[in-house]
Amino acid sequence: MSEEIVSRVSNYLTPQVPFKAIAQGAEAVVFTTNVHPYLPAKDSNNKTYVIKYRPPKRYRHPSIDRSLTKHRTLSESRLLAKLFLIPGLKVPQLIACDAYNGYIWIEFLGEDLPNDAGFSNLKNFLWMFAPSDPYDPIVKETLIKVGEQIGLLHWNDYCHGDLTSSNIVLVREGPESWQPYLIDFGLGSTSNMVEDKGVDLYVLERAIVSTHSLFADTYKEWLMHGFCQVYKNNGAEGEKKLKEVLNRFQEVRMRGRKRSMIG
Amino acid sequence: ALISSLPQFPDTRISLRLFHNVSNASEIRSKVAQLPYAIIDARSICSLEQVYSAIYRALVESKYGKLKTKSLHSECLYSLSATSNIGEAYKNFGIKDDSQMLLVIQIVDKDQQDLQLQGDEVPLNDENLSQNCDMTFIRKIYKLNEFHSTSTIEISRAVVNCIQLRGL
Ligand SMILES: Nc1ncnc2c1ncn2[C@@H]1O[C@H](COP(=O)(O)O)[C@@H](O)[C@H]1O
Repeated sequence: MSEEIVSRVSNYLTPQVPFKAIAQGAEAVVFTTNVHPYLPAKDSNNKTYVIKYRPPKRYRHPSIDRSLTKHRTLSESRLLAKLFLIPGLKVPQLIACDAYNGYIWIEFLGEDLPNDAGFSNLKNFLWMFAPSDPYDPIVKETLIKVGEQIGLLHWNDYCHGDLTSSNIVLVREGPESWQPYLIDFGLGSTSNMVEDKGVDLYVLERAIVSTHSLFADTYKEWLMHGFCQVYKNNGAEGEKKLKEVLNRFQEVRMRGRKRSMIG
Repeated sequence: ALISSLPQFPDTRISLRLFHNVSNASEIRSKVAQLPYAIIDARSICSLEQVYSAIYRALVESKYGKLKTKSLHSECLYSLSATSNIGEAYKNFGIKDDSQMLLVIQIVDKDQQDLQLQGDEVPLNDENLSQNCDMTFIRKIYKLNEFHSTSTIEISRAVVNCIQLRGL
């Protein structure tokens, strides 16, 4: 990560907020810290918080850059706030938003998996089970729950925009039970377009096929079981909309195939 | 009194006091504009998180030259609000003639004049806030009437969302 960004962030956060970089994307940099921005320390002991920062881009005109940063920071924050209100949908809590400077504070979710299997996102979770029992009942239960989360998101007319298996974090709820949370809504949006939903499903399918190809068919079946259930719980209208989404998903998949044959 | 400062604003001292059985609210109200405090009717406060979240927002606005009101104190009150209407913020969160529970926020470098408030100071904590607040009113002012959860923790989190995003 560039020294310039680190020094900018450390100026903004002050020495009272030590931070660690965990990811750098095209648009945002992600840090963690153990300091809550405003709750007294005793109420937030040992917890971790995510700070997502959108640094200025020098190639953009400064005033355009400021307004873009503000817009994107706000749009991600607003989305988190709206999704939080949907019953059953699991997203991290928004803690603070400084849209002028491009900072969002979010609750940190997940943990390190046992046996050095890495951070508890869906990708690593599936890797962890692959050598011993890829079809473990916990895997099945978890993938159905992942499907339900995506179903809830889409049924309520929101789209993720970058639905990879790294952007699904598993939070331990019991010794054998994990609750999936969707993270990173930087490319998310309100959308009632089946196209966006079909693309979300296709992106996740590609992610699973490319990392877990041997078991992908079963995994997809479990995911889609959870996904369809949400729509089917909504009666005739649900069935109708489900058909539209599934048809479009199939279309997107065909397009994807053609493209990869040419390219 | 709860005295603290926020990590990013180490030079700003925040003092928070909670009073029950206040008997001279109308007297305080008549001079509230001159007083160096934000005086909040605690009926509309359900958690410490709600209060601190608003103070944080006010300090950020102040530091980056974005204050919408006359002072940091009034900005704290305004920051609690879910809408950009300053009059409405005062109506929903400000002291009223019949207020019996008051939350007093003071942001200072040093001690200032004393508040001639008649009432019992009680410990400021989540229990004292959540057990005495008016949840129906809070749901109304933050437009959370439809929100599915009845848990104070969840409602407080939804309130924080409104505070962080107001007017942006
Ligand atoms: N709320 C969160 N909890 C845990 N890890 C996160 C969170 N937000 C972001 N991350 C991590 O940071 C990476 C990049 O974040 P993002 O730019 O939001 O995709 C993610 O793939 C996660 O590994």
